[in-house]
Amino acid sequence: MSVLHLIIEPFRYEFMQHALLSAVLLSVSGGLLGCVLVLRRLALMGDALAHSLLPGIGVAYLLFGASTAALFAGALLAGLLTALGSAVISRLTRVKEDAAFGSLFIVFFGAGVALVNLSGTRLNLMHFLFGNVLGVSVTDLQITAAASALTLGVFVVLYRHVLLETFDPIFYRATGGRGGLVHLGILALTVLNLVAALQTMGIVLALGLFLLPAVSAYLWCDRLRTMLLVSVVVAFGCSVAGILLSYHAGLPSGASIVLCLGAVFFGSALGSPKYGLAARLVRVLHERDGVRPPP
Amino acid sequence: MSASSHNIIRLRDVTVLYGRVAALRGITVDIPCGSLTAVVGPNGAGKSTLLRAILGWLPLTAGEIRIGDAHPQHALPRLAYLPQRHVIDWDFPITVREVVEQGRYPALRMFHRLGQHDHELVDRALAELALTALADRQIHRLSGGQQQRVFLARALAQGADIFLLDEPMTGLDLFATEELTHIFLNWEAQGRTVLATMHDLELARKHFTQGLLLATELVAAGPIGGVLTEENIHRAYRDGHCVHDDPLGLARTTEFPR
Repeated sequence: MSVLHLIIEPFRYEFMQHALLSAVLLSVSGGLLGCVLVLRRLALMGDALAHSLLPGIGVAYLLFGASTAALFAGALLAGLLTALGSAVISRLTRVKEDAAFGSLFIVFFGAGVALVNLSGTRLNLMHFLFGNVLGVSVTDLQITAAASALTLGVFVVLYRHVLLETFDPIFYRATGGRGGLVHLGILALTVLNLVAALQTMGIVLALGLFLLPAVSAYLWCDRLRTMLLVSVVVAFGCSVAGILLSYHAGLPSGASIVLCLGAVFFGSALGSPKYGLAARLVRVLHERDGVRPPP
Repeated sequence: MSASSHNIIRLRDVTVLYGRVAALRGITVDIPCGSLTAVVGPNGAGKSTLLRAILGWLPLTAGEIRIGDAHPQHALPRLAYLPQRHVIDWDFPITVREVVEQGRYPALRMFHRLGQHDHELVDRALAELALTALADRQIHRLSGGQQQRVFLARALAQGADIFLLDEPMTGLDLFATEELTHIFLNWEAQGRTVLATMHDLELARKHFTQGLLLATELVAAGPIGGVLTEENIHRAYRDGHCVHDDPLGLARTTEFPR
């Protein structure tokens, strides 16, 4: 069996084609949003958002059964409620936004575990926590396509606003920009795409597809535009590789995609010529020898 | 009315409350066009609050602010605000030119790109602040003084003529401070207005022509020498509303040239 065969053969199956399409769509939105989350230091907040989706799924399952649309709507609602709730708590009380997020998401996650247990077997919980790319339905694909298109649209049309709010929110505000709206919009898009990624990646691992490509790109790129592009390309390459790994090795899809992304991340952190560990080591040694590093 | 009345920042009886605590109380002052004004006062005297109020970010509990004859909200294109340097993430993947280009963003329509006119303004701003050679450099590879100049250039590209700066000289070395002063004096000569909060009284006395001494209330305003007198400083730093004892006699160690 040739290598090419190993790559092409799995995609004869319809479920693998669905998985591939889903991965492509999520790579675009995840890669883009990840960059903003990383640059705004919202990486952990994204993780909190992902966990908070669970009770929405539980409630939707209790009320409507396994309807895909209902599960999406439930998760979306729970995520938006967490984002909004934290914003309200941090504005109106003494609690800062990170602590508000941390407290809310853990309560939501706990409620979610309880609700999912009420609603059926433990198998369901495992499914939502870790995802299953083999079960991507046409409805899943449609929702993912919508989320991805919306994200891409926002980044193309409102690129300057996103850049200003990410780089210098105070300047954005001083020039008449509505920073709070852009901030909430980014959080809402994150929730929407996390929800779309549930089927493929699962709650616990979904954020990996957002953060890891962005952090890897951050280690290589000196311009935001290139960083966004590299991030999307890394997300795409690793999710295809991850899906193939999952198929051939019989691993859960979310885990194998995250492992591929992790390999790229560690490779970048070590080997990036400007900002990697090896580069820093070389610089330190040079300076110790009294040799100035090349500019 | 003379023409210069359009180019003045006028505060009338301005009061700003944070909850029940007054940050500014009953401030009435005119800041003339083309002046180099230092806003000085002890910590918590309302220096930053004053800048924010002029930008229209804070609801005034009483009083009014006018830029020329306009409400601050209608004068935004004339105003440029420079935050303290530490609030910026200097590792952000962006070049000097891209930061200066941001000055043109507010003027652009939704689907428009930077046009030739915008690029000219950006080039001119880079040239004026001697940044042309650094235009393609990453901002994390700049010195403190260069970083400050990048943000001044962005404000220039914006087309602003009133510059509100929050602690622009904090953390700069002697050379960078001199350089910044040189830029400000040039701007003053061109009729641009600079209003900067300063916590270092000696730097304010040395590099600014006008002063505005705050201690929640206005203690003194006018030419810097007349504002930073021993008596005024004493009033602002000891008898003001943000009273601290001065066991080390810091307020008295400054020199008072006549």
